[in-house]
Amino acid sequence: MKPWRLSPHILLLLPAVLVLLAVVILPLILSFWSSLTPFRLTRPDSIYDFVGLRNYARLMGDGQFWSAFGRTVLLLTVALNLEMLLGLGLALLIERASRGQRILRTLLMFPMMFSPVLVGFQFKFMFNDNVGLVNNALQSLGLTNSAIPWLIDQHLAFFSIVVAEIWSSTSVFAIFILAGLMAMPRDPLEAARVDGCTPWQTFRFVTWPFLMPFAFIAMTIRSLDVARAYDIIKIMTDGGPARRTEVLWTLIARTGYADSKMGMANAMAYVAILLSILFTVIFFRKLAQSREQIAAEW
Amino acid sequence: MDANRSSRIRKRLTRWGLNIALFLAMAIICLPGLWIVLNSLRPTVEIMAKPPVWIPHELNFDAYVAMFSGVGSGGIPVIAYFRNSIIIAVTSTVIALAIGMAGGYAFARYRFRGKSGWFLGLMLTRTVPGIALSLPLFFIYAKLGIIDTHFGLILAYVAMNVPFTVWLIDGFFRQVPRDLAEAAQIDGCTRWQAFWTVEFPLARPGIASAGIFAFLTAWNEFALASQLTRSTNSKTLPVGLLDYTAEFTIDWRGMCALAVVMIVPALALTYAVQKHLVSGLTAGAVKG
Amino acid sequence: MKLLTTTALVLVGATGVMAQDLPGKFDGVTVQAKLIGGQQYEALYARIAEWEAATGAKVDVISKKNHFELDREIKSDIATGQLGWCVGSNHSSFAPQYPGIYADLRALLPAEALADFVPATLDAATLEDKLVMLPRAQFDVSAVYYQKSLYEDEANKIAFKEKLGYDLAPPYTWDQLADQAKFFANPPDFYGTQYAGKEEAIAGRFYEMLLSNGGEFLDAEGKPAFNSEAGAATLQWFVDLYKAGAVPSGVPNYLWDDLGQGFASGTVAIDHDWPGWMGFFNDPASSKIAGNVGVAPPPKGSSGARSGWSGFHGFSVTEDCATPEAAASLVWFLTNEDSQKLESGAGPLPTRNAVWDHIIAEAASDPYRAEALAAFQVAAQGAYPVPRTPSWIEITNVVYPELQAAILGDKSVEDALNAAAEEATQVLEDAGEL
Repeated sequence: MKPWRLSPHILLLLPAVLVLLAVVILPLILSFWSSLTPFRLTRPDSIYDFVGLRNYARLMGDGQFWSAFGRTVLLLTVALNLEMLLGLGLALLIERASRGQRILRTLLMFPMMFSPVLVGFQFKFMFNDNVGLVNNALQSLGLTNSAIPWLIDQHLAFFSIVVAEIWSSTSVFAIFILAGLMAMPRDPLEAARVDGCTPWQTFRFVTWPFLMPFAFIAMTIRSLDVARAYDIIKIMTDGGPARRTEVLWTLIARTGYADSKMGMANAMAYVAILLSILFTVIFFRKLAQSREQIAAEW
Repeated sequence: MDANRSSRIRKRLTRWGLNIALFLAMAIICLPGLWIVLNSLRPTVEIMAKPPVWIPHELNFDAYVAMFSGVGSGGIPVIAYFRNSIIIAVTSTVIALAIGMAGGYAFARYRFRGKSGWFLGLMLTRTVPGIALSLPLFFIYAKLGIIDTHFGLILAYVAMNVPFTVWLIDGFFRQVPRDLAEAAQIDGCTRWQAFWTVEFPLARPGIASAGIFAFLTAWNEFALASQLTRSTNSKTLPVGLLDYTAEFTIDWRGMCALAVVMIVPALALTYAVQKHLVSGLTAGAVKG
Repeated sequence: MKLLTTTALVLVGATGVMAQDLPGKFDGVTVQAKLIGGQQYEALYARIAEWEAATGAKVDVISKKNHFELDREIKSDIATGQLGWCVGSNHSSFAPQYPGIYADLRALLPAEALADFVPATLDAATLEDKLVMLPRAQFDVSAVYYQKSLYEDEANKIAFKEKLGYDLAPPYTWDQLADQAKFFANPPDFYGTQYAGKEEAIAGRFYEMLLSNGGEFLDAEGKPAFNSEAGAATLQWFVDLYKAGAVPSGVPNYLWDDLGQGFASGTVAIDHDWPGWMGFFNDPASSKIAGNVGVAPPPKGSSGARSGWSGFHGFSVTEDCATPEAAASLVWFLTNEDSQKLESGAGPLPTRNAVWDHIIAEAASDPYRAEALAAFQVAAQGAYPVPRTPSWIEITNVVYPELQAAILGDKSVEDALNAAAEEATQVLEDAGEL
């Protein structure tokens, strides 16, 4: 009889699987259980009261939860798309710069050095309506003579958060797309020029298809850790005022820790996880598609 | 003749326009950061001023001096935080890279059932928001007695970074032609030797770029660190930022100074490896 | 025989407490402590070494975090049963959430050790008949900071009298404060006043003004009762100031840090704020209006009472602590007269009578500090803590978005208060308190 041996690929994957089991899957099972209980942090015994899907049922009819849900989807869609567009623009600009590439690329990554907590404070102070940098600048330049309530107005508050989020994360897109640009084979570009394509046509039909997978890999990575936007929003507005900027993560954190209702918070978190899984799967499929296209063409 | 000239002028104008656009874009990226640096150097009265003080009247290093002074004279245990941050970020990055290399190699070089399912599953673990993990993770850590230890945070950050490193490095190994390693094996190398002498050097840029992303994630992470650390035994710099807040007051200037202390090493590291970074990301995206 | 042993036990127990000569001797004991961190709070911890030297015990600081993070950590500890540590920083607003985990300090310390504390503060630290914490010299109650020059300006005096029919002087009532704020305001360059517009900050302000206007937050049965006439009048005060542009339009997103920075920038006339800013406002390196700051006691409401929501930091001993005597001794030491003198020397307010006398005497040569301390002392006399329900923080989290909705004009004052009361009732019902 052959001695039982692990095949090498299992052995190689084992460490990754073990770490993720311990740090992600096991806690997730615990938090799933607690989402089926009325668990309150200050009453530890309540974790043994099984109430089935009551937390979830409550959520289904909770207007505040669903408006936060809708706003989160909106924020993700707007921020990720803008980041991709701006990242693309930035990468194109940097790629054609003839000198100072090294410096430019390092500067490009500058915002990635900022801890999200810091980004939150930074933009909160900059968007302060009274003594903030933005209003001060606008008033000094004579562009406005009123104090614009950046973090209060329904649309402006959302806008300000998007700005902070874009500032801190566009780099990720730019650096990936830049990598794509630099790896791009020159022949097709040359061929397009010979065929008399306009720069726009060249970009649209030659460059962009090649860059797509880079954009989507960045998109996937960003959608994976987009919850880090929580730190920024928490400090800038904490979902306020009057729930105007409430997103899932601020709602979950407040429910779970400040209100101690961890069972309910975990039920919310499970719905949030489904949302991010959905986003990730969409991007994965687009990534696979665009890769196939490249493979077919080159 | 004339048409030629006007097209040359147009070209030159476009080039200038694009240079200005690049300059503006870089300014927008850098200004908020420079504002932080500037804030750390000038008195609070100038930071939150109205009418604004655009040109600083007075620059000094008081905030930095205070940061390193003892507790009670405005100091925080910045050296301990810095040490913890370095130990945790570097160790977790190295481990995540090792695990990522093993995993990436498995995905790139072996065929097995349900491969794409495993791959997607691995990636999806990253979608779990930290807030959903923090309490149960705390519970497990408390039972194991690894709250407020370097090991605890390192473990958590390794888990956070493994999916991404597996992904990037997998793409890289795919790019390295299989024949190369096979040729080396025919020449008498073991598979292990073939890996180190042939495949690893070619995949180095991918490893470097995965490394810098992993390092920055660990260096800046706040949500889990605030839950899993407690004292100078393991508190990291992002958690230390909150030392400048009291119940009612905030020392924004001191916070900016600490921020600069955090940013400088990260910036230096990025500068050092950024060349690999760009080429490193390429393969990860195209192959995969 | 049985009777005898009981008596003996009681005697032993009693002497164990009474004979303890503070700080006592605890050789070989290690006390684990969770302390609030941050510059303002840490100067005191230098004294821990003195306590260690005096008692022979060791202190192991196992956690140092800010107030909100520490609350989160303690809740996590409760949830996972990790309460074996001994001494914890505590706060009057958070303490009612977890009275069960802390021991009664009256049983652990001799009566004379507690005699000098301001009685109202000790009352506020007593939950379910247990003294759960000893207050340190970090007592917080608000007073009115104002720019003196505005009130001394002759043109202002005349114009104000003409417009409002009474003399311009630092506000004595909330209505006067609103009148003056509207009078001074000149947005966007200058504002009359400001308030913190979110979280416990606005809920707490609303609560104290509601009381000074003769209303109730929770009624005798513990039901939310703030959707009353007094409640509407109180909320209307916030709404009016906002509508009139007398406060910066960003206030619904302000917390205390924004308030302090705003007043120090010299663009706000009146700031009802905490003692933590006392030094900051009068320091030329941090404040534009240094030398121009006056301080008055908190205004009165329509009932004639001053408002006075107070909060304070303190130290508690856990029920699960293995060495409660040593822990109590440390808590006493960190809040004793010398410790409070050390802390209040840097600005914060003490919670011991003798230390109040001491700092007032010391401030004699500093008119600004003397004036401020006098105002805060008046404030402290009328101070009261938040309602002692474990659900207070949770209630504030459902109330404040509704207050904001009224301030921003999304809802009428009545609708907002009714919605808030309904949600608060639900919170209390869910918690089993109603």
